[in-house]
Amino acid sequence: MTGRGRLAAALLAAACVSFAAAGPARAADSKPRLQALEPGAPPPWTPGYQPLDKDEKGLWMEADEAERTLKASNFVVHDEALNAYIRSVLCRTVGDDRCHAARIYVIRTPFMNASMAPNGMMQVWTGLLLRVRDEAQLAAVLGHEFGHFEHRDTLRLFRDLKSKTSAMAWLSFLPYGVGLIAQFAVIGGAFEFNRDMERDADIEGLRFMTRGGYSPRAAPTVWTQFRAEQDATAVARQQKSRKDRNGGFFATHPNSAERVQYLTHAAQGIPNPPTRFGETEYRAAMASWWAPLIDDQIKLNDFGGTEFLLQSLAGGTWTPELLYARGELYRARGAPGDFDKAAGFYRQALDLGSTLPELRRGLGLALIRAGNAEDGRKAIKDYLAMKPDAVDSKMMAMLAGGE
Amino acid sequence: MKKTRLAALAAFALAAAPVAAANWAVIGPSQSVAVAGSTMTVTPRTPWNKATHKLGPKAEAWTQDGFTLNELDFIGGVGPGEALVKERNKKDKPLPKFSASMTPPDIVQMFEATDRILLNTSLFEVDKVEPARLGGRDGFRFEYHYVVQEDEVRRKGEARAAVVGGKLYLINYNAPAIHYYDAGIDEVRAMMDGARL
Repeated sequence: MTGRGRLAAALLAAACVSFAAAGPARAADSKPRLQALEPGAPPPWTPGYQPLDKDEKGLWMEADEAERTLKASNFVVHDEALNAYIRSVLCRTVGDDRCHAARIYVIRTPFMNASMAPNGMMQVWTGLLLRVRDEAQLAAVLGHEFGHFEHRDTLRLFRDLKSKTSAMAWLSFLPYGVGLIAQFAVIGGAFEFNRDMERDADIEGLRFMTRGGYSPRAAPTVWTQFRAEQDATAVARQQKSRKDRNGGFFATHPNSAERVQYLTHAAQGIPNPPTRFGETEYRAAMASWWAPLIDDQIKLNDFGGTEFLLQSLAGGTWTPELLYARGELYRARGAPGDFDKAAGFYRQALDLGSTLPELRRGLGLALIRAGNAEDGRKAIKDYLAMKPDAVDSKMMAMLAGGE
Repeated sequence: MKKTRLAALAAFALAAAPVAAANWAVIGPSQSVAVAGSTMTVTPRTPWNKATHKLGPKAEAWTQDGFTLNELDFIGGVGPGEALVKERNKKDKPLPKFSASMTPPDIVQMFEATDRILLNTSLFEVDKVEPARLGGRDGFRFEYHYVVQEDEVRRKGEARAAVVGGKLYLINYNAPAIHYYDAGIDEVRAMMDGARL
């Protein structure tokens, strides 16, 4: 890859993966703003739009290449109904005239992020889908990403960086990650601009979602939830919360507290705002995905954050599926008292009439660890009776045998 | 890219440097060798390369053709409260810890979570867990498959483990599902069968 290609690639990785990284709060208003692009240039969602000059062509080439790789990735979720649903939310948010320009890829990865590249490749990570609670929150994120695309932020950033030779030197070290955790993006000064862009994209997202009929109040909520989750993670790990962490060199985004503040302020300033949140629709569209996505989350070994997410998903009403997940979470942690608690959650789910075989499996393993081997073996026998061809049937049969 | 466990650890330590572990020790064939600084010994049929950069205080990794093509890990006596491999990012990505009271399915679950965290993947599935022996002790074996982002190669793995005196001993092999896994698994199983504790 040439030096120029590496820079473009780094920008794709850096500027496009642009939703969730948190940086320090600072007085950004005093910073110079990035130049607007040529006045009168057609927006990139115009049908038949082609990149206008050498810089933009280069970025598109890199993005097209990245998209070819992404298309073949094992991590792309091919569930047609889910993809159609996310597209419908995007189209409702930015409008039918614009949304055709986006090619959406749902990526199976448990972290909260979304991105849009200059050529229209949009990534939505499953960790984001697990964390937004309704259609309006999803619309806020999709609108934000589309805002970057519409304003050709990657190109603006690219031009700005090209004028900084020190930046070039730095950039040659950068990894090229599609869908990967590529937030370790670039260098101090140049990315002052990025924070401005993020703020602009947040506000643009707010405009889009309001126009699409979604309550703008949902936009700051995305961030208050995420901050609360970071607090919960930190408490369980006995650490200081990372929510206001100083991003140092890597501070490409406004601090999440700052985002909550200006999004709340901006949302309040919208006269007669729409009131649709679309929580029921969102839950219905995600119904078959909660279990696998929660499983991905549990296996991250983040007890506090996961417990927070489960509580927020339950919203006071614990379904058998959520009780099962909670049992798995406590059983995996295995701190004093956790196995009894886990057994309690599995039993509550059984009392609600769930026939999920894995409830018996979890219950059996939790009881054995809690010192109640006899009841544990019984539960495991029930599990094997319900699922004789389970992948662990021989192992579980041995445990049920009591030796 | 973090295609392998060792690469994941090395990459974190050395930031953008290419997969480290520049130093190797050749393990000769047909000789019994102690692994992972423990009392566990194995006897390979063919030569292997041991990375001198260790996976963890009680873990080492071998390969024949490079870690992206075959990886053989030895975990020698991980005790209560310890992770399977070295924790490079305790703060943000703490690894699950072993407990002597864990059942085999609990240990498989800990292994899976460790790999998901180290390799940054959500595509990891356990295919089989069943009783087996390791070093003459009652233990278990399990099979799994997974994919790592940016690498996208489908890989298969098989491990054998036993808890002895409250400590976990484990031998883990993984390789691309195409060709390499099948090419190496017979010798690896023989090594697992013949391991002594």
